[in-house]
Amino acid sequence: MAAAIVVAGLERAFGEFRAVQGIDIEVGEGEIYGFLGPNGAGKTTTVRMLTTLLLPTGGRATVAGHDVVAEARQVRATIGVALQEAALDPLMTGRELIRLQATLQGLPPAAGRRRADALLERVDLAAAADRRVGTYSGGMQRRLDLAAALVHEPRVLFLDEPTTGLDPVSRKTIWEEVRALNDDGTTVFLTTQYLEEADQLADNVGIIDSGRIVAEGTPEALKGEVGNPHIELLVGEGAVAEAERVCRELGKLLPPKDGKRVLVEVEHGSADIPRVVRALDEAGIEVESLELVRPTLDDVFVAKTGYHLEEEEAKKAAEEASST
Amino acid sequence: MSDVAATARVVRALGARSIRQTFRRPQLISPIVVFPTLLLAVQTGGAGAGVELPGFPPVQSFLQFMLAGSMMQSMMLAGNSGGIAFAVDIEMGFTDRLFAAPIPRFAIVLGRLAGTAALGLFAAIWFFAIGLIFGAEIEGGVPGALLATALVTASALAVGGIGAAIALRTGSASVVQGLFPLVLVVLFLSSAFFPQELMVEPAKTIAEYNPLSFIVEGVREPIISGIDATQTLEAVAAIAGIVVLGLMLSARALRHRLRVG
Amino acid sequence: MEAALTPNWRANLATIAALMTRAKNELIRVPGAAIPGVLAPTIFFLGLNGVFGSLTQLGGFETGSYESFIVPVSMLQGAGFTGAAAGVNLARDYEQGWVDRLLVSPAPRWVLLAGNVLAASVRALVPATFVLAIAFVIGAQWPGLDGLLVCYVMVTATAAVAACWGSMLALHFKSQSAAPLMQAGTMALILLTPAYAPLALLQPWLEDVASVNPLTQVLEAARQGFVGSVTWAETWPGLMALAGLLLVFGGLALREMRRTNV
Repeated sequence: MAAAIVVAGLERAFGEFRAVQGIDIEVGEGEIYGFLGPNGAGKTTTVRMLTTLLLPTGGRATVAGHDVVAEARQVRATIGVALQEAALDPLMTGRELIRLQATLQGLPPAAGRRRADALLERVDLAAAADRRVGTYSGGMQRRLDLAAALVHEPRVLFLDEPTTGLDPVSRKTIWEEVRALNDDGTTVFLTTQYLEEADQLADNVGIIDSGRIVAEGTPEALKGEVGNPHIELLVGEGAVAEAERVCRELGKLLPPKDGKRVLVEVEHGSADIPRVVRALDEAGIEVESLELVRPTLDDVFVAKTGYHLEEEEAKKAAEEASST
Repeated sequence: MSDVAATARVVRALGARSIRQTFRRPQLISPIVVFPTLLLAVQTGGAGAGVELPGFPPVQSFLQFMLAGSMMQSMMLAGNSGGIAFAVDIEMGFTDRLFAAPIPRFAIVLGRLAGTAALGLFAAIWFFAIGLIFGAEIEGGVPGALLATALVTASALAVGGIGAAIALRTGSASVVQGLFPLVLVVLFLSSAFFPQELMVEPAKTIAEYNPLSFIVEGVREPIISGIDATQTLEAVAAIAGIVVLGLMLSARALRHRLRVG
Repeated sequence: MEAALTPNWRANLATIAALMTRAKNELIRVPGAAIPGVLAPTIFFLGLNGVFGSLTQLGGFETGSYESFIVPVSMLQGAGFTGAAAGVNLARDYEQGWVDRLLVSPAPRWVLLAGNVLAASVRALVPATFVLAIAFVIGAQWPGLDGLLVCYVMVTATAAVAACWGSMLALHFKSQSAAPLMQAGTMALILLTPAYAPLALLQPWLEDVASVNPLTQVLEAARQGFVGSVTWAETWPGLMALAGLLLVFGGLALREMRRTNV
């Protein structure tokens, strides 16, 4: 399978700060590649370099066979982009926006009109097509942005956090659309901070943290690397430290989750549950709930970075909220 | 007496905040200083030959004549700017915090006006400096300069009251900002930039009765000739009139704001 | 269906037209959006006429009608405000991510810039025509069709220069906070000319500045019909000045457009 995207030693520095530090990626044609990482990891910077919006300060990248620096215009002609900010004009109608995008992509007027009608139908915006974008909900704006990215039937589609801020129903709709596009042969490079999204959609996942790729592979292969399942225990307030001491004797202790759940990796899965419960009972520790959890991409993330992805996001969000 | 002292403390605290806020935001100060300075430069350079016109008051230079007008322009923009800052406080909910505190309502407005007055004072000092650097003489000497400065500062306070009233009534910074053209209209229809007797109708007649003209002449006289009691009193009366108008409008707007929340 | 790698002239024109259509939305779809751009030059025109109208009593004015003398200044001011506003709009588009949508398309950078600049040129006709109408009502001299045409050419081209200036700053600072610089720059350029009085009556320092300011040629060309008759000798320096300014500021704006990814 030919490679749609090839990245070799790609770097981007902003003064002293190195946002992307020499990453290597290869995305095959017709693949959905999930680029997973917390805020500030370098996902958007990478996407901006691959879509020619930002010049790399080191390394090389090709998209659809064209170098992103030397053949930038050729790259732009073959890609569709839906960035993190939907970047829509609230004064335009949905139909006007798609037609404008068609004109920007060099489509003749009649073809542009046909494509606009077809795409608006496809993303279920035909009824709202002649309303101003400023009246659209968040989910409608995302669908419109996606439609605009598809107007010229691009070979490679870049989606930068396409479902951030959407409700679960809208998110599922976008997922279905991404799968349908991929079924039609479009290569999709998708950045996300949602583990489930990467797990559900991606053929291959690259995990980025602090500007470096820390893991790459299919979701199943990555989870398999982490190995064993773990038991997640919810114990009473004040009992966490004692519970951790007990569990340390029984298996490998993992970083606690939200300060209340004790996580211990066990070799034999559900067969290990009774001895864990017995040991905690003998130590006088009350267990409020217990769950056997098979490896997830979060476990992969923890194994590679030492912290939970979604907890990190929640912490950052709380820090941002308290500083404003 | 303790009530008065407490109120004074509140006004001082809010005034200090208003002044700090004003001078920490270059984007608030620069239009007040840059735009009138640019106009001063091009108007003295472009219309300076106007001193040759019969009927033009005896002046050392057109720059000397224009200084008062530039101070007035700055002062009016300061009033508008103070109104915008007050409206921003309302939009952000800061005034709600003040309304909920056990302080007299008028202290809130007075505190805001302190910032506007400070801008007026700054404007007067700035243009005196510009004038002196470029060779204009202050015929009234130090007393004349002090009188002119006091009048500019007082009129900033007065005009600021109207700006505050509009902010309280509308609660919208963009509405207050949109009044900037009105500031220009009032200035042009006064003797800020040219002697009223030499203006063209109907601007000439409007300028004759425009309260701003009385204030401008009160500020100008100490600069171009010396302190004149009549001009000074007329200026003070005009300022007092605007103060009364500003107080009435502010009081009504404050009642409206407290009613609608 | 990949987009054309080298869009032909038809595609480029279509893109410019589409961007101009988008730019007009603000005027048409936002109530009152046109008012500030029209109000400011009109107030200046009426105000300056009322304040300095008697200057014509001094020798040296080609006309006794100060409104005729000053109306081209206000029309050019309107052009300057409109052009600067185009820069502010571009900065806003940048902040909101819209410019990324344009930059990620295969449309040539000069085409994207041309859409913004030409939209400003056309938009400048609105305040210019309004000020002119007011001027005629209060007695300005009819400049003749040739004088009117030359004046409008100067106005639209000045708006284009101002839009290039504004766009350059917008793309450099990527923020609307540069708006005062956009407005002040165009205002200064237009007023540091024989705006208020003929060159010979200006104070020496302003006479020196105005003599080298290219906008002086533009103003004199725009003014000629209102104060006398139109001649090629008075017109071509204005055209040359505008061509030079467009080359310089257009080039700088295009450079900034190309460097957005640095």
